[in-house]
Parts: sequence; C-alpha cells; structure tokens
Amino acid sequence: MTKQVRCVLRLALVVSAAALLPGAAQGAKSTVPKSESIRFDQSAEVQLAGRDARLQLLVTGVQTNGQEHDMSRSVDYRVEPGGLIEIEGSLVIPISDGVATITATTADGLTTSTKVTVAQMGNEPPISFPGKIVPIFTKLGCNGGGCHGKVAGQNGFKLSLLGFGPKEDHEHLTSESRGRRISLANPDGSLLLLKSINASPHGGGQRLEKDSHEYRIMRRWIAQGMPYGEASDAELVSIDVFPNHRRMRSESSQQLSVLAKYSDGSFEDITRAAVFESNDPTMASVSDHGLVDLNDVVGDVAVMTRYQGHVSVFQADIPLSRAAGASEPQYTDPSGNLVDELVWKKLKSLSIPASDLCDDNSFLRRVTLDLAGRMPSRIEVEAFMANNDSQKRNAVVERLLASEDYADFFAGKWNTILRNQRSGGALRFASMAFHNWIRESIYQNQPYDQFVRDIVAASGSVASHPPVVWYQQVTDTNQRIEDAAQLFLGQRIQCARCHHHPYEKWSQADYTQLSAFFTTISKKNMGDPTEPNFFTKVGGASAKDPSSGKNLSPAGLDAEPVEITPYQDPRQVFAEWMTNPENPFFAKAFVNRYWKHFMGRGLVEPEDDLRVTNPPSNPELIEGLADHFVRYGYDAKSLIRLIVQSKTYQLSSNAKPENLGDKRSYSRYYPKRLQAEVLLDAIDHVTLSPTRFSGMPPGIRAVSLPDTSFDSYFLTVFGRPQSSTACECERSQEANLSQSLHLLNSEEIQGKLASDAGRASSLAKDPRTPDEKVTELYLISLGRHPTEIEQQASVAYVAGKENQREAYEDLIWSLINSKEFLFNH
Amino acid sequence: MLTIQGHKSRYCDGVSRRGFLKIGGLSFGAGGFSLADLLRAEAATGKGHSHKAVINIFLAGGPPHQDMWEIKSDAPSEVRGEFQAIKTNVPGIEICEVFPKLAGMMDKAAVIRSVVGCSGGHDAVQCLSGWRPNDLQSIGGRPAIGSAVSKLFGPVDASVPPNVGLAAKTKHVPWSDSGTAGFLGAAYAPFKPDGPGMQNMSLNGITIDRLSDRRKLLSEIDSMRRDIDISGTMEGMDAFGQRALDVLTSSKLLDALDLSKEDPKTVARYGDGKPYKYQYDGAPTCNDHLLMARRLVEAGARVVSLSFGRWDSHGENFDLVRDHGSKLDQCLSALIEDLDVRGMLDDVTVVVWGEFGRTPKINAKAGRDHWTQVSCAWIAGGGMRTGQAIGATNRMGEVPADRPVHMQEVLATLYHNLGIDTATATIPDPTGRPQYLVDHDPIGELVS
Repeated sequence: MTKQVRCVLRLALVVSAAALLPGAAQGAKSTVPKSESIRFDQSAEVQLAGRDARLQLLVTGVQTNGQEHDMSRSVDYRVEPGGLIEIEGSLVIPISDGVATITATTADGLTTSTKVTVAQMGNEPPISFPGKIVPIFTKLGCNGGGCHGKVAGQNGFKLSLLGFGPKEDHEHLTSESRGRRISLANPDGSLLLLKSINASPHGGGQRLEKDSHEYRIMRRWIAQGMPYGEASDAELVSIDVFPNHRRMRSESSQQLSVLAKYSDGSFEDITRAAVFESNDPTMASVSDHGLVDLNDVVGDVAVMTRYQGHVSVFQADIPLSRAAGASEPQYTDPSGNLVDELVWKKLKSLSIPASDLCDDNSFLRRVTLDLAGRMPSRIEVEAFMANNDSQKRNAVVERLLASEDYADFFAGKWNTILRNQRSGGALRFASMAFHNWIRESIYQNQPYDQFVRDIVAASGSVASHPPVVWYQQVTDTNQRIEDAAQLFLGQRIQCARCHHHPYEKWSQADYTQLSAFFTTISKKNMGDPTEPNFFTKVGGASAKDPSSGKNLSPAGLDAEPVEITPYQDPRQVFAEWMTNPENPFFAKAFVNRYWKHFMGRGLVEPEDDLRVTNPPSNPELIEGLADHFVRYGYDAKSLIRLIVQSKTYQLSSNAKPENLGDKRSYSRYYPKRLQAEVLLDAIDHVTLSPTRFSGMPPGIRAVSLPDTSFDSYFLTVFGRPQSSTACECERSQEANLSQSLHLLNSEEIQGKLASDAGRASSLAKDPRTPDEKVTELYLISLGRHPTEIEQQASVAYVAGKENQREAYEDLIWSLINSKEFLFNH
Repeated sequence: MLTIQGHKSRYCDGVSRRGFLKIGGLSFGAGGFSLADLLRAEAATGKGHSHKAVINIFLAGGPPHQDMWEIKSDAPSEVRGEFQAIKTNVPGIEICEVFPKLAGMMDKAAVIRSVVGCSGGHDAVQCLSGWRPNDLQSIGGRPAIGSAVSKLFGPVDASVPPNVGLAAKTKHVPWSDSGTAGFLGAAYAPFKPDGPGMQNMSLNGITIDRLSDRRKLLSEIDSMRRDIDISGTMEGMDAFGQRALDVLTSSKLLDALDLSKEDPKTVARYGDGKPYKYQYDGAPTCNDHLLMARRLVEAGARVVSLSFGRWDSHGENFDLVRDHGSKLDQCLSALIEDLDVRGMLDDVTVVVWGEFGRTPKINAKAGRDHWTQVSCAWIAGGGMRTGQAIGATNRMGEVPADRPVHMQEVLATLYHNLGIDTATATIPDPTGRPQYLVDHDPIGELVS
C-alpha cells in the first residue's frame, strides 16, 4: 500500500558531467551566462502516485562550453492539459489522474518539456508514522535537542531525539490520545495540531501554516486513527541529492532535489521533507526548500541533507570570477610531486593562480618552525644563505627530520591528544615515562600502525610498557573507544553512544560493537596502587546494545562482526582492523592531521571529523596522501617529506590579488600563529632569557616539557591545552586581550627584556656598530636581514637613546610584538 | 507562474542555530576577528548604553532556606527557629526579619522558595553553570554561565573582560570558584582581579613615555600584510593590542575596581561587611564586592560572579544569619537601588543563592546541617515579573510543597535575561557535539 503513496520516479539521475571541467573564462558575475540549451533533469517518465507525492523540478541550462547552471526558478512553466497538476514555484503538486506535459521556457525562448503521470489520486492509503509523520517533526525541529527531543521532553511532551525512536514516539502520542493531545473525533482540535500552528500558545511558536502540506498530512493521519505502519512497509534504503556536484559561479544559486530510495525499488521526492545544512554558512546558505545561495566566494563548499538517519551531500566548486580575456594562471612544473599535481589540478579547475615560491629565508624559518618547533638559529640562517646547492631545501628537511627537536615537537603534539596529563602536583613517573616513550617512537620513526597498536593493545605496567598510561588516563570504556575513534579514525562517534548520530550513519549498534573490543581490559594492583597493571581477561568480548538490548560481538565501523576466541586479545583484533591497509579511515585521519599541521588548514576541517557529510576540499589529494602513507608502511617522515618538499608547501604566504580570497585550495601558504610553547621558546631565544619550569632542569624548552601541567601564565593565555580531550581543538590559537596585555606589558616579558644576562644587556655592551647589531637581531628574531627601511628605523631609534640597554630592550620588544615574529608565514 | 506557499520554518526565537554560532565567533578570545568586527560587535551590543548582564551572588555553604525568604511560622519551635517573618511591600509576601531593606523593595525582586536539584557538593558549580561538577568532566566539564556568554557574545568593550570573578580565595577552595570555562578552555575563564592577569593591567617596569616610544617603533617595523591570514587572527591581535594599550593608558577595568573613584556616600550606602565573622574557611562578607560588581557591569562586564560570606551554619545558625543577613540586606538593597536609579535594573539580573538548603531540625549547637532536598534563591531585575514568591516548602520546610524549581531553571532564566534562547543556543564541545547550555526552561512565572 505504501508504495502507492510514494511518488514513483524513474529518473535518468543526471549528474553534472561538467562539474570538473577546467575553468572557462566567465563574464562579470552580475550577468547570468547565456545558455545554449536547457533540459529537465527529470526523465520523461516521472509518475506521481498519490496525493502526497511531490516533485521538485530541476531545469539546467547548458552553455556552449558545457558549463551548466540552475534555471529551475528562472524559467516559465506551462502545463498541458490543465487541471492535472499545479506548479508552485518549481514544485509539482498532483491534482488529478492523467498525463501532463510540462514545458519550461527561458527568457531567451529556449524550451524543453517533460511528461508527468499522475495516478492513484483517489486512493486514501494509511499514512505511515515513521515514514511520514516523524520526518515532519524532524524538519520542523520539534524533536531537536533544545525542544521536545530533550531527555526530559518539553512541557510534558517528549519525542525521541531527531526521531530515532519512532516506536516510542508513536506510543507517547497514541497512549495520550484519550486526552487532549490528539483528538480522533476532532483532529483539528488536537493539541498536536493546535500547537503546531500556535493556535494554542506554543513555547516554540508557530511551526506550520494551517493550509500547509505537513498540516494536512498530520491531520489525515489523526483522522485515520493514527496508524503506525505495517511491518511489510518498504524500508528507506538511501537518499541522494541532485545534483550532487556542480560548478557554480560565485553569488549564484542552485536548487537541490532529494530522492529517497526504498527497499521495494520505489523512489520518493523528499526535497521538502529533508533537512539541509551548509557546512560553511559564510560561503553558502541553504533554504528549507533546498535552494543553495552562494556568497561572493571562491573554492568549494558542501551542503548536507539528512532524512531519517540517512545523509547525502551536494558539493559546489566555485571558480574565480575573472574579467573576460584575462589570461589563464600558469603553474610551475609539479615535477612528479603528488601534492603539487593534485593541488595544481584543483587550482586550475578553479582558475586560481598560485603565489610565487617563497624565498630561502622564509622557507628555512617556516620549515624549522613546522618540523622542529623552534626558530632557526643565526648560524643556521647564515649557513643556509651561503649554501648554493640546488638541493639545499631538501637537505634542511632531512637534517630537521633527524633531529631531537623534531621528536620533541611532535611528541608534544601526540602527548596532548593522548591526554598524558597530571592533575597538578609533582611530576609523575607515569606521565614522564609515556612522554618519553612517545618521543622515542617518533625519534626512531616507528611506523604509525605499530605506534597505534602499541597504545590500543597496551598491556603490562608503566615500567614494562609505558603506553598503558593511556589506559590510566582515559579511564572508561566509552571514553577509550571514543578517543580511539577520534584520534586514529577521524570519527566522532560520541553521539552514537546515546542515539543515532544525526550527521552520520553510525547507530548505537555500531557504537556498541566498537566498544565491545574494549570490554575485556582489566586492571590489577601489583604493589603500587598508582601504577596498576593492565591486562586482557580471558573471555568473550561483547557489549549490550542499549537500543535493542542484544549482546553484540565486536565489529569495526562499516565492518562485519569478528569472532574472537576467548584467548585472543580483542584489542589486537581491533588494532589489526584499524591498521589494515584497506581500512577506509585510519590513514586518512593521520594524513589529514599532518597536512593541517604543515598547511594550516586540514583538507577536512576540523581535522578529526572525517564524516561523509563533511567532504574534503580536495578528495583526490587526501586519497593520494593516504595511499602514499600506506604504501610506504605508515612512515610518518616519508609523508612529511612529500608535503614539505612540495612546491605547494613552499609557496609564498604573500597573496596575489587573485588568490587573496582563496581560503581552502592552498594557492599560497596560510600563516599560522606560533603555538604557545613555540612562542615562549622563541621569545626566550631572542631575549636570551630562558624560562624555568618547576621540577625540570635548566635549559628545558617549553615544547619539550613532558606534560601540559607546568604552571605558566604565558602558556595558558596563549592557548596551551590541558590535555583533557583527544581533540587538537583544545589548543586555542585565538587572539584575546589577556595575550596582548601579557606580550606588551607583563612583568614576565619585561623581566626577560631587562635581564642582566639577557640579549639587550649584552648588545648594549657589544662594541660592534649599531648596524651590525640590528642585523643580528633581525637574523635571530625573524630569520632574515632587515630591509633598508627597517635598518634605518631601528638604528635611528637606538642612536636616539642615551640608555643603550633600554634602547635594545625596546627594539627587541618591538620585534617580538611584530606579526612577522608571532606568525609562521 | 504560481508563487510558493512554503511554510515559514523558524527556530523558537527566530534565530537560526547557525546564527548563534556566528555570534559565537565574536568572543572575547575570538579568532576570525577583525577590528571592524569588534567595532560592529560593540555597536550591536550597545557599548556605552546599558547592556544585559548578570550578577551572580553565591552564598557559600548553603544558606538556611527556612531562615531567609520563607519563615516557617507554623512549624514547631525545634524547626521554626528564632526569626519572625516581616511584611514586605508586596501584600501577602513575608520574609525574614533580618532583611528589612529588602522587604521594602520586594516589588523589585522575586523569591524562589522551592529550589531543587542540588547535588549536595559543597561547591559553587551548580549555581554557576547549572550542572553537576562531574558532568562532561571527561572533556573538561561544562562551562559556567560567564564563560558560555563570553563565547556566545564576546566582550561589550574589548578592554573589559565580559566575565569577571570576584570570589575571594578561600581555604575551602570550591567556594572561591567564580565559574570555570570547562570544555571552552582557559581563554573563556573569568577574569579575576586577584589573578595573574591583573598586574598586566598597569605598567610593569617602564614609563608611559617609554611605552609610547615602543609603540612608535613597533608601528614602523610591524609591516606584515594582515589580510593574508585566513584565520583573521592577525587583525584580531591588532585589535586587542590596541585595546591593551588603551588599558595601559586608562583602564576602565581598573577604574571599575577602584572604589575610591566612587562617591563616598554611595560606598557608605553599601555598608561595611567588616568585621568578618563566621568566616572560617569561607569568603568574607565583602559588601564592596557588590558595588564593584555594579561598576564592572557599567564598564562592560556581562557576568560578574562573587561569593558572599560563609553560610555553612552547622552551629550558631541564627547568629550567623543575623550577621551575614543584615550585611547582605544592606549591600544588596543598595545594589538594587543603584541599578534602578541608573536605569539598569531591567537589563541586569541579580541572583543570590547557595549550593543547598539546611536541615529543618535545629541541632544541638543551634545549627542546621546540609539539606539537599530544597533550597532557595532571591532574584531581581532583568526585566522579569518581580514582586512574587514562587513555590513553597511544606509545613516543616523539608520538601517543596508547590512548584519545585530546578537549579537549571534559574540558570535558564539568567540566560534568557541575557537574550539567549536556551532552547536553540548551543556551543560545540571539543568532540563537535552541539551542547545546549541547560536542559531546563526559564521560570515561566518570571519571564514569558
């Protein structure tokens, strides 16, 4: 029966073939390009079955160069014969059985036609609660977490969050049907309907018009006696948005259409029932009806649509609008570097020119900061300048990759997200040992799969196997599985602990199966209670799915359940699943994390949120990097080489007028503020006044500290994380007043500037000329020689001061407060 | 062509969730923040005019609910205690005799006699955030209202922190809490005048002339292009750098904390909390803090949290309430008068409450012990329907007899008064989950 309700669509499902065509010169953005032809994206055989069926028309104009654009709202529609259908805007509403021809005509007189068959208008099929009513609640926000979807419901009326529990929802509604909430005798008098139109005061305001489609469906459902639906009803299999990819002009719009596919092979147009959300509202907005509007932007943007736990994504590429006749940007030879090939390809398709390559000084400073977490020394700068070897940039990369500083810097990165913390107090053996283990494994370039396996399958004591500290720090099964998924798979599955993930396919069962891997870990005190042993109990691993009450065997995400013998360690099996080259998440999560470290912006943002609904800005590149990483045996250094040896990484941060608007295609190097520890070390380096950290020997740099609990107001205000989550986002790179005050005027900074053993004091006594001294300061602080203007201004300042020590203090103060110093660029 | 008759879907308050997130970008500690944004934000939030704000006065230790705003005159003497109820200027509402001044302005306040949901912890966490201390602890905990508001709205004036904590350091550390930033991180923690940031507000070791020379030199050599930074942080740092230099030449914040800049008659009206009695390991009864709170709000603070006295009256309950209560009566009534006279009362919500109530039965030391089943709150301003008493306890003051009000409802009301719709506003946590600020709704009796 339900099949009849649906709009049975037989579509040619045309996907824009021009989506990735190289950019063609576009006219000024205000003029709509002239089309050569237009077409309906529906085939000639659409059937609308039943009064509730709807069809979102999509009309596409095609230019001579193959460029396509949406004309769904700009054409005139004519229907023959009349009386069979109505077209509201570009939405078809059936009226009476028969075959209608819709003709679309543009202002230029181009036309195209399609046929729509209307059938079964006389039938009154039962309305399915999960199929028709729940999606209305979701679309209107009734079952959202701020309204009736809250655990406690809202004002006595509770719905399951985002409609993932339709059975309970039906029970709530129907068991209360004797009351006022639903009135069979007088459906319009049901509170459910009265509240929805705000005829009875509703905290959530008016959600519906009384003559709306949704209202009429709910009304009819009540009148039918509130049926739930039949077990034999076709199930929703998938949803698809059309088009799924299009190349669009900036400031243009695109109507989307969403089709649901059912297990009986039928389709339903759910454009009006699906929920849309733009992944970047500053680039594109999307209406409730699925109309995407682009702002004046360049690059790519995704719009997600979801319906009943299924998701689909529309992606738009937005090339640079250039004046007619402007020349195509030229790109240097990628020389076989995968990164350059794929970044160039994207830039070409968007007509964005790349910036020039950066100079040697910039490169040395940039790569030293990114690889070793420190400024290059004056000696390094001068040696690099004096070196004429054409391979000198690669040589620096090798030298830094082999250095202890590289291990220190990346150990800090991992130490933080592996939550290796101590809650204040004295240094702890366990956190020191784990930090040391991480550092050593990075220094030795232990393959990443091995690194992860050693952590997730850790057994023993801190002394015998320091990664067990992860189990000490991350104490419950849920946290462990959530951390592991976010850290190593880029999957945020926290939501699925309690309900189906709204933007993902993960259900509570998926979560449960994953957590089952972690159910046999046990802890035993072997003397020192602060250092317990961790081991795996013998026995079957399984976990109870709260939604079904069933015990589930372990299974990876999107993977079949595995049979694990009682004598196997399920965590080893989990690690094997993760680190299998076929795993769709593991390598990508790592390469995206590292790409962001070097390039300032992840191919997916945030870097650990690799949802289907959050597509990468350059899908081929993330695939390519992941392939490389797997092919080279999860060798982090090999991946880093690939990135930092690319021309892409070595582009100047200085923008050209044409690529200033690019924020996600890597046409230039995006500057990054130095992170807290690196900045403090850099200031120490320039002022020659090292910071002391409680309990640590002198000379320890902030980046090499074994945890993030050392007391430092500087590090706190500049956003050092507390290692309390697995998310890199805990590190804040945001600007604030406290930072500015601290950098401009703190006792700490003034103390460093004015230290008797500091650089200002020694420069004041230094017999060299002011010119030489200023040059040295620039080399030390900015890794380059001063420009003539800078040299003159600095020397003049120093010369104008009687107190030389104060003069140099002031000059160093200005240098460390300059943006060039504070940023890696 | 026909026109589309699509329904107008709006979120409960007409602001979409994305709209909120965008507002959230303009925080005190925001990236993606240009000077223009800052000025726009200031204009939008009406810098120089009265803005929405909250003064959260924490009565640490748990004030005896039956000796504050609802005297259990019908209870037997071992429960009733020493206090008489007095009439207020709102017919039908009586409160404890210790608060004559507050009784005279009952029309400007509401008392809630049936607060529930207390966790029983001897801490300020629930009064500051609405949540129990262990909630979301694994990702850093829930942000207190001041931190959440800083995240959502940013500063009113970039040189004044939006979230200020005046709670003095106490031996029982949880009572000196002015609210933690939880999963939002240190950038959103309250600014504490006794904290390490304070000394940065006045020049450290250099003269104003030298600072001026430094600024001049910096402007000559700091020439990097700002527009190449896609995160907007460079421009944000410039904007805050400018404000920081403003602070050093003339600090609204320091002025706000400096009561010598206030009319001595006004200071006198707030009264002196000294001598500090019954302080033990808790906060002093610092009447000045309420005046500072008003001055901070005038300077641009959105949320000021403070801790007043130590109400953990296991012994000498009645003497303690006489001491703390009369001091509170004086400074709180002065605060409300001031806000009213200055036209700020409709914008500023003042709430006064503690972590739980106290035992109905008076113990052998004339004290009352911990009681988590019911507690109380006093709330004023914020444009609410005041002049009412909400809820009641049963005859013995043991449990709510009527209209239990969850602590989160109080927080929801504070958020509401700040212009935040708790049904729609969310803040993403570090795992990307949108977190609602509280689970309960604002108190319907107070706000519509």
